[in-house]
Amino acid sequence: MLFKLAFRNIFRHFTRTFLTFLAIALGLAMLILIDSMLTGIDQESFDRVINYETGHIKIFDRGYREDEENLPLDKSIKDPKPIISKVKVDPEVAGITSRINFRIVLSDGIDQYPAVGVAVNPADDQAVFRLKQAVIKGEFLSGTEETMVLGEDLAKDFGVSVGDYLTILTRTKYDTYQAIDLRIKGLLKTEDPKIDWAAVVIPLEVGQESLEMEESVTEIDIKLKDPSKVKDFRDKLNKELPGLEIATWKDLAADVVAIAQAKRMGTGFVLFSVFIIALIGISNTILLAAFERTREIGMMAAMGMRRGQIVHLFVLEGAMIGLLGSITGCLLGILINIPFVKYGINWGFVMRDVGDIGYRVTGVSRGVWNISMIVTAFVAGIVISALTSIYPARVASRMEPTEALKRV
Amino acid sequence: MSIVKMEKVVKNYHVGKVEVPALRGISISIEEGDFASIAGPSGSGKTTLLNLFGCLDKPTEGTIYIANQDVSKLSSGQLANVRNRNLSFIFQTFNLIPVLTAFENVEFPLILLKKSRTKERSDMVMKILAEVGIAELANRKPNEMSGGQQQRVAIARALVKNPKVVLADEPTANLDSKTGEDILKLMLEMNQKTKTTFIFSTHDPMVMNYARRLIKLHDGRIESDERM
Repeated sequence: MLFKLAFRNIFRHFTRTFLTFLAIALGLAMLILIDSMLTGIDQESFDRVINYETGHIKIFDRGYREDEENLPLDKSIKDPKPIISKVKVDPEVAGITSRINFRIVLSDGIDQYPAVGVAVNPADDQAVFRLKQAVIKGEFLSGTEETMVLGEDLAKDFGVSVGDYLTILTRTKYDTYQAIDLRIKGLLKTEDPKIDWAAVVIPLEVGQESLEMEESVTEIDIKLKDPSKVKDFRDKLNKELPGLEIATWKDLAADVVAIAQAKRMGTGFVLFSVFIIALIGISNTILLAAFERTREIGMMAAMGMRRGQIVHLFVLEGAMIGLLGSITGCLLGILINIPFVKYGINWGFVMRDVGDIGYRVTGVSRGVWNISMIVTAFVAGIVISALTSIYPARVASRMEPTEALKRV
Repeated sequence: MSIVKMEKVVKNYHVGKVEVPALRGISISIEEGDFASIAGPSGSGKTTLLNLFGCLDKPTEGTIYIANQDVSKLSSGQLANVRNRNLSFIFQTFNLIPVLTAFENVEFPLILLKKSRTKERSDMVMKILAEVGIAELANRKPNEMSGGQQQRVAIARALVKNPKVVLADEPTANLDSKTGEDILKLMLEMNQKTKTTFIFSTHDPMVMNYARRLIKLHDGRIESDERM
């Protein structure tokens, strides 16, 4: 009976109830959408970091990471082949390759642009990375030919395309100046700003020769069969390869991981906002209902209804408004999220102006279905609404029957 | 046999810092099956006396017994239990729950008692609705009924749990005289049929005529107590 009474009571003032649950619903829908968007960006960023920048695990020479901002060439792995041979046979390893990362200034003779040079082994780079699949015009590197591939956006900035030449200005391992003229063989579109906006990819042998690196590389990159085992594999390599530094993609992509953590604070803030909306909306609605129904409360008390039952009735009303808000909010959130997941949002119009903010997104980013967040939003809507009803419900229950019955 | 008894009951109210006496040492015993009217001018203490009989309020001094239980110093929760088990109320403004049908309004006190099963409860509700002559209105909500019909529902609601005492505060004040008289006849009929004690307050002479016992109050004291 209390359920029936509470349910009918919330429709006594439909507009008021509607506005209250609509506020909760919009808050929850917003929570679901923001979470979907940010989780989607997180996942895409993590995927791009792994697929284009880090692989699952990297091996460096000891001391490299202390100075990694400067991409030092003198802290390199002198003889990578035995290490690669040893790691390659591990059953956990899906692919392995090696690279040299180095600072460059890219020039067309008129304009110059600071960028990162990445010398890759065209034969086995795709065992770990997906650069080859990201070529949208021309071809990927092959063998030792003196060519480069670079991001489509970077090429546009220089007004060049496949077949044109650009000059890489850099310093060798021994800090002497070096200029390399390379023909553009292909253009990349990875949606990773670190690649599309600022990376020039050349063949490893060309890099080694130009940078006077001989056989050395700055890193060995590993792809695992089971990505969830990165930490265990890192610990294992640490034991097997003393004198080298091993890092997982999470260690290396600290910026993206930090943003993902900040995102959790963001969704927490939205949830807190929903709490405030519910606090004000539900408290106000229940308090008004309590004052409007003082005679009724007095009559119920006169009939022997206990204070706890009166509190129960009003809390139920609050919880039901919360339930309506949760159902509406989750449905609204899910409905709006469908095109968001299917087609995504193109951030391209703003991302280039904003610059590299850590997220590996330059264009379209799709939402995701985060079932746990939808369930959290649903339950939170009801629980928060019920909790915020307790105070006005207690106010209602404390009315003395005689005083309540006197009121018109 | 006494069903409600008061001994030297004093009730004072505080209006700001001033203490205003409402009842000044009332001693009275209401017998089982009484159909008693408490009459008196405004401010004589009728409603205060009825509230104390109904365990809606506590006396400043004195003792009140309901069915031989001293209720003067019970907590609000214990008083709620006493009301739930022994007492029912009929209000001047009917005070039905507007979102419930007549049937559900009458069913409500039975649910608070948590005694009967659904089928048994339904039979009890329909029986009492038939006795007060509005069985056909069982599915109507209060706003779909006249004042007299609503007061009949209120009477059915008061009687459905077989209380020891029904307290009615000016039960006909919001009804026209014809309907008011019908309601009084119904209350008297139910009193005779069920032997339930009725205590009601009024200042309407027509209502007093129906009373089998007339207790007149003046300035918080009993002026007269006559059996008719």
